[in-house]
Amino acid sequence: MGGSANARGGCFEMSTPPKMTKITIDGKELDVPAGTTVIQAGLMAGIEIPHFCWHPDLPVDGNCRMCLVEIEKMPKLQIACNMMVTDGMVVRTTSEKAVQAHRTTLEFLLVNHPIDCPVCDQAGECYLQDQYMEHGLHDSKVQPEEKVRKRKVVDLGPIMLDAERCVLCSRCIRFEANVTGTNSFEFVNRGDHTQIATFENRPIMHNYAGNLADVCPVGALLSHDFRFKMRVWFLEATDSVCPGCSTGCNIFIDHRDGEAQRLRPRRNVEVNKSWMCDVGRTEYKRIALETRVTVARGRRSNPLTLPSPPGGRGGPNDWENTSGPTALDVLAERLEEAGAASAFVATPQATNEDLFAFRALAEKVGGMLDFRVGDPQDRVRVREDNVLLRADRNPNTQGCLDQGLGRAGVKEILAACAAGRIQTLVLQGPELLRLPQAGEALAKVPFIAVMATHEEPALERAHLVLPAAMWAEVDGTFTNYQRRVQRIRRAFAAPDSAVPRWQLAAGALKRLGAAFPAATARDVFALLTRSVPDYAGLDFRALGSGGRALPERPDQVATQEARA
Amino acid sequence: MAAGVVTVNRDTKPGIYPVLVGMGITLKNMMKTMFGRAAATVQFPEEKRPTSGRYRGIHILTQRLDGTPKCVACYMCATACPAECIYIEAGERPEATIEKYPTRFEIDLLRCVYCGFCVDACPEEAIFMSRENDLVGTSRAEMIIDRDRLMERAKLVEYGPGYRPTDHDVRRPVRIAALERLKQEHGIVPGPPAR
Repeated sequence: MGGSANARGGCFEMSTPPKMTKITIDGKELDVPAGTTVIQAGLMAGIEIPHFCWHPDLPVDGNCRMCLVEIEKMPKLQIACNMMVTDGMVVRTTSEKAVQAHRTTLEFLLVNHPIDCPVCDQAGECYLQDQYMEHGLHDSKVQPEEKVRKRKVVDLGPIMLDAERCVLCSRCIRFEANVTGTNSFEFVNRGDHTQIATFENRPIMHNYAGNLADVCPVGALLSHDFRFKMRVWFLEATDSVCPGCSTGCNIFIDHRDGEAQRLRPRRNVEVNKSWMCDVGRTEYKRIALETRVTVARGRRSNPLTLPSPPGGRGGPNDWENTSGPTALDVLAERLEEAGAASAFVATPQATNEDLFAFRALAEKVGGMLDFRVGDPQDRVRVREDNVLLRADRNPNTQGCLDQGLGRAGVKEILAACAAGRIQTLVLQGPELLRLPQAGEALAKVPFIAVMATHEEPALERAHLVLPAAMWAEVDGTFTNYQRRVQRIRRAFAAPDSAVPRWQLAAGALKRLGAAFPAATARDVFALLTRSVPDYAGLDFRALGSGGRALPERPDQVATQEARA
Repeated sequence: MAAGVVTVNRDTKPGIYPVLVGMGITLKNMMKTMFGRAAATVQFPEEKRPTSGRYRGIHILTQRLDGTPKCVACYMCATACPAECIYIEAGERPEATIEKYPTRFEIDLLRCVYCGFCVDACPEEAIFMSRENDLVGTSRAEMIIDRDRLMERAKLVEYGPGYRPTDHDVRRPVRIAALERLKQEHGIVPGPPAR
C-alpha cells in the first residue's frame, strides 16, 4: 500500500531547517532534526517501535509502556515516544532487554482483554493482534472467566464503545481534548476497573466521531456505519482525495468487488493531518450504484436529439437509450450547428482534466463558458468549523478558478437562454438543471446535453443525457482551497458505459475535427500544464501521494478574503 | 532407449491358453457375484457405501441449545476457503453477550472443493462436515444452500458427522510456524516470558 508509511507517521515536516542530531538506532546511523523523539527517528529509519498510545498527530502521553527501548548509558529502559534524541545516542529496540519488556508489557495489556477477535471489527487492523503475533505469542495465564468484565456494546451514536477491549491508551481522550476540543471521553473508576466513558453515555455529537474509531488502536471504539459490514482483510485500499468539500482531505478508498465500503483518512500533515470529517466519510454512499446513469439516452419527442429510428418517433416513454458514440455524434452535430450560439457550464465537482477538456471544447465551438452555479467560489476558503470542513462542498472550485472558467457568468448564460440566443447548452453536471429559477430560461433552449452520474428528477429538463464516471472511478487531480494539486486514483470501474467527463468532451472535440492528443488522464494533465501557466512543470507522478502546493496568487487571495 | 517405452517379447506364440486363463478369472468373479453375494455394486440409493468418520461431505452449521446458529460470522471460513464459495452477511443479535451472528450464510456446493479448510478455520466449532454426499439438483441456484438448510440436523442423524475439528488440533500448525519465525528473527525461545 503506497501511503501506509505516511499514514503511520512517516513524515515530519518542520517549518525551518533545524539543527541535526546524529543518532544510532539498531546499528543504523542517521541524522535527525533536534527535538525529534526516538519513536519518530525510528520511523524515519524504517524501524517501527511497537506502541499503542503514541500517535503522530496527538500529544505524547507515554502511558502504554509498549515502546520501551534500551539506550546506551541509561540504567533503565526508556519510552521511545517521550525520549528526545541527543547527539551520539545509541538506541537498541531489539536487544534482549527491550524485547523482553515488549513481551511483558503486552502480556500485561492482554490480561483483561476479551477473546473477541472473531466478532471484533478491528481484527485485521488491530495493534494488539499485530503485536501479539510479532512480540507476544505467550500462553495466557488468565482464564477467560477470571477477566474483569466491563461494559460492552455501548451505542454512542456514530461510535460503538466496548470498554473491555480498551487498553487505556487515552488516544480518544487526547483527540477530543486537542483536535475537536469537545472532551467527551474520560477515564472512570480505578485500577483494573478503569474504563473509558462519556458522561451519562451521551452520544458523540461532533462531526469528527469517525476519527475516534481510527485513533483507537484496538476494537474499543468502532464505527457504527462500518459495523459488521466487512472484514478488513477483504478490502483493497486506493489513495484518493475526499470530494466532500474544498479542503481536499487525503483519504483511502477501501473497496471490494467494485464497491466502496468505507473512506479512511490518509495522513497528510499539510492538509488534514490524520483526520477527516464524518460528512466526508459518508461520501462513498453517494457512489450508490442503484441510481446511476449507466447508458446514454435521448428524447424521442425532440427532433434534434436522436437520429430518427426506422419505426418513427413516439411511444409511451419519451426517453430512448442509445450508445455513447451515437450520443456524442448528435452532440457534435448540434454544437457545430449552434457555433457561437452555444453555452457551456462546467462543474467544480469535476477533476482538472475534465475541466480542461471541457474548456477546450467550449473554445473550439466558441460558446459562452462558466461554472459558478450557486457561487461556490465565494465559499472556497470559508470554514464551516474549526477543524477541516469548509462551506464550499465542491472539491475543485479552485481548479475551475485556476483554469479561468469563470468567464461569461451563469446569470448571463441564463439570460441568453431566456432571450432565445442559445441553441445548444452543454452541462458538465446537473447543478444548473436543479436550479428552480432557471426552469423558464432552460425551457427556451432547443437542445440541452448533460453529463450526469445519477438519475434525478432534474434530468427531465435535458434532452441528451451522457453517463459520467464518479470521482472514485477516475484518475485525475483536484486543486484544494490552498491551491494544492492532489491526485485522485481510480479505485474501480465505472458502471456500464459511464466514462470520465474528459473523455466525453474529448469525444465531442474529435468529432468536431479538433486535435486532443490524450489517451489517459495523465496525458490530459500534461496538456493542461502546457496551457495553464500556474500548473507548468507539474507531472502526475511528481505530485506523489501528498500533492503539490502552487504559489499563491496575490490578487486572488485578496479578493477571496474580502468575500470571506 | 528412451524412458517410458515398454518392450514386448514377441517370441512367445499366442496360444489359446492365456485366453482361457483370462476367461477363467472372469467366470470366477461372475460366480462370486451371482451366488457368493460378493458384488462390488451397491444398490444406491437404497443401499449406501460406508464412509470414513472423517469423510468430507456437505457442510453442517451447528446450533446453540436455543436453535440459533453457533456461528458468529467471523468470516474465517470465507477467508480460508480456496474456492471462495462461502458468502456471509453479518447482523447484530439483540442480546449483548454474543453480538454478532450470520443473517445470511450460503455455500455454493458446486463451487466447493470439499477441502475442509472452513472446518479448520472455524474458531467456534460452528461448521463441520457431514457424510452426506449425494448431491442432486436441477439448477445451479438450487446448489447454493442457505443457512437454514445448513443447520438441518436431520441429515446429520441420517448420514452421521464427518470431518470435524476434534479430528486433530487444527490451530497448532499456525502457532508453531509463528513461534519458529519469532525464534529465527529475534532469537526468542517460545514459552512464557522469563522473570
